[in-house]
Amino acid sequence: MATVEERVKQVTGRLLKIDPASIKTGDNFGADLGAESIQSVELVASFEEEFGIEMDEDAALAVTTVGSAVEFITQVCNEQGVQI
Amino acid sequence: MSQENTHRALSAEEVQALTAQGCTADDWSAVHVADPFETSRVRDVRFEGSVRVGSLAGTVTSASGLDRPCGIEEATLINCTIGDGVRIANVGSHIANYAIGNSACIEDVGVIQTNAGSMFGNGVEVEVLNEGGGREVSLFNEISSQFAHLLCMHRYRPKFIAKLEAIAKQAIDSAKSDTGTIGAGAKIAGVPRIIDVNIGEAATVWGASALVNGTILSSADAPTLIGDAVQAHDFIIGEASKVTQGAIVAKSFVGQGCQVGKQFSAEGSLFFANCEAFHGEACSIFAGPYTVTHHKSTLLIAGLFSFYNAGSGTNQSNHMYKLGPVHEGKMERGCKTGSFSYMMWPCRVGPFSVVLGKHTRTFDLSDFPFSHIEAAHDGRCMVVPGLNLSTVGTVRDGAKWPTRDRRKGSVKRDRLSFDVFSPLTVGRMINGSGRLKDLMDNTDKSVDTVTISGAQVKRVLLRGGIKYYRSGIHTYLLEKVVSRIEQAAEQGAGGLSKALAASSDAVYSEQWVDIGGQMMPRQRLEDLYAAVESGKIGDLTAFESALDSIHAAYTEDEWVWVRHAYKNVFGADLDAIQTADAASIADQLLADQSKFLNLILIDAGKEFSEATQTGFGQDGSDADRVADFLAVRGAFDGNKFIKQMKQAIEDLNTRIEKLKQTLAVCT
Repeated sequence: MATVEERVKQVTGRLLKIDPASIKTGDNFGADLGAESIQSVELVASFEEEFGIEMDEDAALAVTTVGSAVEFITQVCNEQGVQI
Repeated sequence: MSQENTHRALSAEEVQALTAQGCTADDWSAVHVADPFETSRVRDVRFEGSVRVGSLAGTVTSASGLDRPCGIEEATLINCTIGDGVRIANVGSHIANYAIGNSACIEDVGVIQTNAGSMFGNGVEVEVLNEGGGREVSLFNEISSQFAHLLCMHRYRPKFIAKLEAIAKQAIDSAKSDTGTIGAGAKIAGVPRIIDVNIGEAATVWGASALVNGTILSSADAPTLIGDAVQAHDFIIGEASKVTQGAIVAKSFVGQGCQVGKQFSAEGSLFFANCEAFHGEACSIFAGPYTVTHHKSTLLIAGLFSFYNAGSGTNQSNHMYKLGPVHEGKMERGCKTGSFSYMMWPCRVGPFSVVLGKHTRTFDLSDFPFSHIEAAHDGRCMVVPGLNLSTVGTVRDGAKWPTRDRRKGSVKRDRLSFDVFSPLTVGRMINGSGRLKDLMDNTDKSVDTVTISGAQVKRVLLRGGIKYYRSGIHTYLLEKVVSRIEQAAEQGAGGLSKALAASSDAVYSEQWVDIGGQMMPRQRLEDLYAAVESGKIGDLTAFESALDSIHAAYTEDEWVWVRHAYKNVFGADLDAIQTADAASIADQLLADQSKFLNLILIDAGKEFSEATQTGFGQDGSDADRVADFLAVRGAFDGNKFIKQMKQAIEDLNTRIEKLKQTLAVCT
């Protein structure tokens, strides 16, 4: 089964039309990967769907890098009892 | 103005003196003056018909602000009544059939004339919204945004419309006169042509090109300015407005506190309180309160707007070269359009939404307020429901409108409901949320986009829209309830049920409506229809009074709505709330509103992001870019709005803590 990091990169790559393999954990969604405001919202929704979780919008939108998204999603999954 | 009986005929010596100073008259016995009358103040004047001149002594302030001697020089006056302390000088042709108020100053004008049976712009039929006709609004001086809105928009009630038209006719007929008025303290200078125009008290008309068939409403506490090169035909302009800098106004109404200028062209349009229109063009629009268009190449056509801001190059089309210009568009309160946005009418945009791009498909997003509406490359409408709910711009707009009310006079004709969050917008959020949930529950995950009332939504964003709306709905309802609980806490034990009770006079409707900037329960409107249709309300005074009463009932009507909505949303009856429940409601407000304010802060933070700094630090290094940005824009933490938002979060914490302490004492 794919790791949280791999799944985050898959979702990000699909949405932003980037090769997931080229995405680094230190990449900033906006400055490095070119995510616009609406795409940030779409990313949050896509992560929720991918992992079957519900994230606080304010906390989720405060996440800026791929690595911090992996950490945040892992934390939410654990809090909500979702197997990852 | 001097009393009728204070005027007297001229003496033979006075006629002799006036004649020696270049004055002539058809009949000197038809010229009457009031004392003190100094013949030295009247030179080179031609009197025709009956002319009554008030006392001429001292000075009067001119349009340019200089104090000039009262008197009449180089003018032809035909059937005029002139007040005390007036200056009239250098009238190229004549002033005919006017009553000129005290302390008026008229200099360097061509012709000022009222023709028999003039209506002064009253009764002009304006083809609002639909250039093909069918929604005509007849202008009259006292028309309010609410009256015009109902007359224009509610054509599905023909009996009501007929009665409204009859009420309008009463007002229109009362304006008819053979004599025009120039009010006390009015200043007119450098205007070649004023025909059939009433000019109100303290108005300044300076340098306009031509004013024909209109009324300039003005009062000492709300003076109106008509400035350079303005051309206005078939118009009414309201108190405290400024129409200046080459504006063209034709068959249009400009309400109170409006600003129209910089060569703006308005035709067949209505502008209500505090609108601003510069550079661009309006054609057959209903510009409700606070409609703002500031930029060139912006054409607003055949649309309904209010609390609206048009980006540069905003444009719409109202026909497709088939049956003519018969399409209309509705942008509900609080909307914005981005630069070079375009909409092919008909479309309907829900409150507080932002529209970007070129839309060539019809959509109706009235159930989806606070949305981000963007056009795809093929002109289809893509919507992100609720995204605009927590944007910093929406919050700033809500705060600024009440502070920017330029209507300074005692008479304010348009009733304005400023609330961003109200039963109207929150009700729409509830509707929209339900529709989004239905779609989410019934759409397979393999589907990328779904269609909703002509617009498309990415399926994954249905979930986001529901969350945004839930946040808005909860925050609004909890805030209203906690405010009432706070009132109860101040009253001590036992006050809770009283504070949460509904007023027996309040009216409940699930649906609320926005009538030209005034929000009300649907039932209030139904009652108004009935009262007008039955003849119970039969004149303008009664009609406007009924609207005032509805406006006064807003808070209690809103509270009844909140009580119903609270029960539906949270499943709790406010009549059964105990003090312990009140504390947990307060906690819930703290949690939800803090998140909401944090979202606004995150949105505001984007204005300080690295991407936003692009272009700063000209010719310098990365460090220079950051330093330049800080010098020009300042730091996130130092920004006034950011400080206010952070303070709001702190204040909310303090407020809830205080409330809980008070409730603990009451328990």
